[in-house]
Amino acid sequence: MSRDPIKLEIFKSLFISIAEEMGVTLRRTAFSPNIKERRDYSCAIFDGEGRLVAQGDHMPVHLGSMPMSVRKAIEAVALEPGDVVVLNDPYEGGTHLPDVTLVSAVYVEGRPFFYVANRAHHADIGGMSAGSMPLSTEIFQEGLRIPPIKLYERGRLNASVMRLILANVRTPVEREGDLTAQLAANRTGEKRLREVVAKYGVEEVAFYMRELQAYAERMVRARLAAIPDGDYGAEDYLDDDGITEAPIPIRVTIRIRGDSAIVDFTGSAPQTRGNVNAVYAITLSAVYYVFRAITGGDIPANAGVLAPITVIAPEGTVVNAVFPAPVAAGNVETSQRLVDVLLKALAPALPDIIPAASSGTMNNLTLGGIDPRTGAPFAYYETIAGGMGASPQGDGDSGVHTHMTNSLNTPVEALEYALPVRVRRYGLRAGSGGRGRHRGGDGIIREIEFLTDADVAILSERRRFAPYGLHGGEPGRPGENVLISNGVERRLPGKVNIRVKKGDVISIRTPGGGGWGPPPEAPSPS
Amino acid sequence: MLRIGVDTGGTFTDVILVRDGTIVTLKLPSTPKHPEEAVLAGVSEVLGEDDVEFELVHGTTVGTNALLERKGARTALLTTEGFEDVLEIGRQNRPGLYQLTASRPKPLVPRALRFGVRERVTSAGEVLIPLDRDQVHELRARLAQWGVESIAVCYLFAFLEPRHERETAELLADLGVPISLSHEILPEFREYERTSTTVMNAYLAPLMGRYLRRLEEGLTRLGDARRSPVRPVLRIMQSNGGSISARAAAEQPVRTVLSGPAGGVVGAFATAQRIGLSRIITFDMGGTSTDVSLVDGAIQTTHEARIAELPIGIPVIDIHTVGAGGGSIARVDEGGALRVGPESAGADPGPVCYGRGEEITVTDAHLLLGRLDPDRFLGGAMPLYPARTREYFRAFRHRFPRPASEVEIALGILDVANANMARAIKVISIERGHDPRDFTLIAFGGAGGLHACDLAEMLSIPRVLVPKHPGLLSALGVLLSDVVKDYSQTVMLAQEEIASERLEGVFSRLEARARADLRAEGFPPDRIRLSRLVDVRYAGQAFELSLPFTSDFLAEFHRAHERRYGYADPARKVELVTLRVRACGITEKPVFPSHERRAIAVEPVARRPVYFREKGSPIARETSFYWREALAPGATLAGPAIVLEYSATTVVPPGWRAEVDEYENLILSREQ
Repeated sequence: MSRDPIKLEIFKSLFISIAEEMGVTLRRTAFSPNIKERRDYSCAIFDGEGRLVAQGDHMPVHLGSMPMSVRKAIEAVALEPGDVVVLNDPYEGGTHLPDVTLVSAVYVEGRPFFYVANRAHHADIGGMSAGSMPLSTEIFQEGLRIPPIKLYERGRLNASVMRLILANVRTPVEREGDLTAQLAANRTGEKRLREVVAKYGVEEVAFYMRELQAYAERMVRARLAAIPDGDYGAEDYLDDDGITEAPIPIRVTIRIRGDSAIVDFTGSAPQTRGNVNAVYAITLSAVYYVFRAITGGDIPANAGVLAPITVIAPEGTVVNAVFPAPVAAGNVETSQRLVDVLLKALAPALPDIIPAASSGTMNNLTLGGIDPRTGAPFAYYETIAGGMGASPQGDGDSGVHTHMTNSLNTPVEALEYALPVRVRRYGLRAGSGGRGRHRGGDGIIREIEFLTDADVAILSERRRFAPYGLHGGEPGRPGENVLISNGVERRLPGKVNIRVKKGDVISIRTPGGGGWGPPPEAPSPS
Repeated sequence: MLRIGVDTGGTFTDVILVRDGTIVTLKLPSTPKHPEEAVLAGVSEVLGEDDVEFELVHGTTVGTNALLERKGARTALLTTEGFEDVLEIGRQNRPGLYQLTASRPKPLVPRALRFGVRERVTSAGEVLIPLDRDQVHELRARLAQWGVESIAVCYLFAFLEPRHERETAELLADLGVPISLSHEILPEFREYERTSTTVMNAYLAPLMGRYLRRLEEGLTRLGDARRSPVRPVLRIMQSNGGSISARAAAEQPVRTVLSGPAGGVVGAFATAQRIGLSRIITFDMGGTSTDVSLVDGAIQTTHEARIAELPIGIPVIDIHTVGAGGGSIARVDEGGALRVGPESAGADPGPVCYGRGEEITVTDAHLLLGRLDPDRFLGGAMPLYPARTREYFRAFRHRFPRPASEVEIALGILDVANANMARAIKVISIERGHDPRDFTLIAFGGAGGLHACDLAEMLSIPRVLVPKHPGLLSALGVLLSDVVKDYSQTVMLAQEEIASERLEGVFSRLEARARADLRAEGFPPDRIRLSRLVDVRYAGQAFELSLPFTSDFLAEFHRAHERRYGYADPARKVELVTLRVRACGITEKPVFPSHERRAIAVEPVARRPVYFREKGSPIARETSFYWREALAPGATLAGPAIVLEYSATTVVPPGWRAEVDEYENLILSREQ
């Protein structure tokens, strides 16, 4: 069989549309707002060896990590027809505990011909605080760990496993609904893949799965070949781990040789006591994101993308944490810093496309308490955007999510209907973007007044180490968290749990993006 | 009264009227700099010497183009203090996930023209901080100084307590510029979408006002050259599928911006209903893009549409667009895959076969396969260049890794384009719980008929209808539109707060306004239809479902949720978010001529080989070409056949048959 450009394009579109239809099924049938409305999920199709064939364009942070789930599932369990493996353990193919993954095998002619998998961010998976994103020091505090085990056997629910999971989470009815939705998504994928095999035959489908991987590999290799050979190094810092104040360096050297690259994180900090540790899957996702973005973002996400790239992340470091390190924030915060470091390293090699640092944090805010209007408890989680780094092409956007996240905000009017809070201000933080020939985008100021006592958790970064500028551009202004109580302002740490009183105001000021190129001379006073 | 439908498109301005059972149509070149010129020329040509009173229903792109080209007014925005940047932040997300550079559209109002005003209303609708009138007064001077041409005002929770927006408008009235108030444009919660819609309205108001004035004056002057004066009534097509008076359109131009594709859906549904079909998928394929929409008994609207990448919160016909059209460019990318679109050759330089284009397009593939008639394209007005096209295909072959014939490549281009369009249809059907096998595909636009049967085959759609005058369906929809006005009010009630008296109060207020507005549009009570709708969701969800308000609406909500999302939970608490009233002024519909079907033999105008794919391989089949106008009701054709007409071509593939029905529609289905 020889490669036909027409069939290649048809199969490309076919597999992506199946992955996307799986996503639609999941979104339609799930319960968690994170899944339904913030679309924090991913669906993917793998070949019989567990190599990624296609993934829907959902969450960049899931990109590199889905294949790990499938590999661990295959290693741990002999998947029979009708079996579905569930897992969330970051040390067994997961990312952080709220992300639960389901893997199924699709048998054709007596062997696993495809695997389908989907991952979804559940609203709660147990542990020491609602939402399962605590300021933890060991993974046991973060929730229930599920190693790869069978949730369905030969098409039948393993009721004991389900009961065990539901007994360990705060909202069991919703969890059961979400898991059922995830099963439905895999079934949709399986059904459509069987239709594809019936239409094109086993041989042709197998051929084009391989060809699509080769296609993505060629695209990435073409891009790498255009980068001058050399070693490109960079370092950047996480502010702290929320437990101690020590800065946490992340270092990378990218060795470009011809049309391949080695991405080496040797020299990065040892894993930390606090929860900013990234497991290897997260690091891989950041590498995936960066190389896909510099290739124009137009290539299908599959195993071919990383084929020319070797990732070295020493075990026991903050970029490849080992059990039992806590990891809740590795997914949402460290992933952003990994992207910053990688782009900084590539900036001299690709001066025409690499932007200055964006805000580099998701500014996670969790609120909880009792609503005096109804007497019912409330719990709420949001992320707040920041400034985008300026690029060689122009200024960065202001007040926008960048890199590893893209979730929507909650409208002010929706928030005030739903919670005993009043938003006092939601605007751009003027002047926070770094100056430069092109300006970094401005961060955001979001001020929330509490109409009752409440618990507040903030998980944020870039409060000390500013988003860098490039080629003479100035850095963006770091973020600030402030508590305003009886008119008195008090600075809060970047990662904090506090109890606020009725009338208190929390002011989150998110970082601006870095500037690009030297700023124009200020006009001399005359 | 005589009604004339005129739809302004990018290339042509289409005119249609029905008089004494005869359809009169006219296609004129559009006059983009002064769109009213083509409209007036068209009306003047079809208007009879003795016509005095007539109604012109007009679909205009004036608003759409101003948004796409960013040529609207210099607009100022007043918001609650602290929220001046909501317009720029949007929903804090970005459209291009893997794009490293800025990818969001710039807001229509720059920071320097956005002003925060001290005032605040709470989520309970109570005034927390009274409006700072002195501040507004000071602002007035600055706005005048800045040369502001229109003003948008959007305060938090103004839809619950509009007093501050009204006072602000009064204080600024003597500036003499149009002022758009958010509680009037879109009295619904979610401040970004409401602000965006209100700003869009203000941005377009001066321009639309001037355009409609020129058009009305021009219409009145049509009488000057005649024995008797004319008394025209001008109505403007809206994005919700209905029309409104020119005065209302000048005040709320935002309601017109997606009216072009809306006309097509209205026209397609009217055509379908005439022959008893109520479930259709419309498929409008033009030069650069394809619009698809699903109608299941009633035209569906959405509150989440976008134009020029900006959200527009008013009800708009739910249409899904993909960047695949006749002008879509084919290329082999760096990885060796054949890509088609979304880049388009447009009208300039156009496809290779038009004589100037350098890049192969979908239209070129059709010509190469023999499916277009080079001598009869646009009635022969537009010569095509087959030899040039073949040459370009020969060169294109070398971009393929193994030798492929020109014919295989052309069929491949169509396969890829069809895959893109089939995906769009899946999104609006299968992904929303509809089975395409239950629908008829209504194909129109210049290229719709070229692809319709292939798509039907891919999606197991049993039947395709190509209406008479497929290039004029939007104008027909405009002609047939009722006057439709939408009213809404966010109430945000928890399930236990839903009391029927309270709802009745809000609904009656909305209906009183609706009746008064339609009376002012000239409708007697017996031609006014009001319907009540509610937006409902499960407590905690972020999106609502809109459904008819009945005594049983809660039960219906659970059923609708099950249909749309695959599950329902009757035990879960719901919230009643927004009440809606849709008011319809029923217009008089012209009677369409119907003809008896007669079995008559039809003579092809030509017979030539055309390439099709059969069992995976290209094969040339001797194919009959017919002139559509020569096909009378009752005529049947067996595929392979090609039906040619002025601005469209329809392919009847091998294994398909076509029949002309009593309204001269072409109905295509698979041979049994």
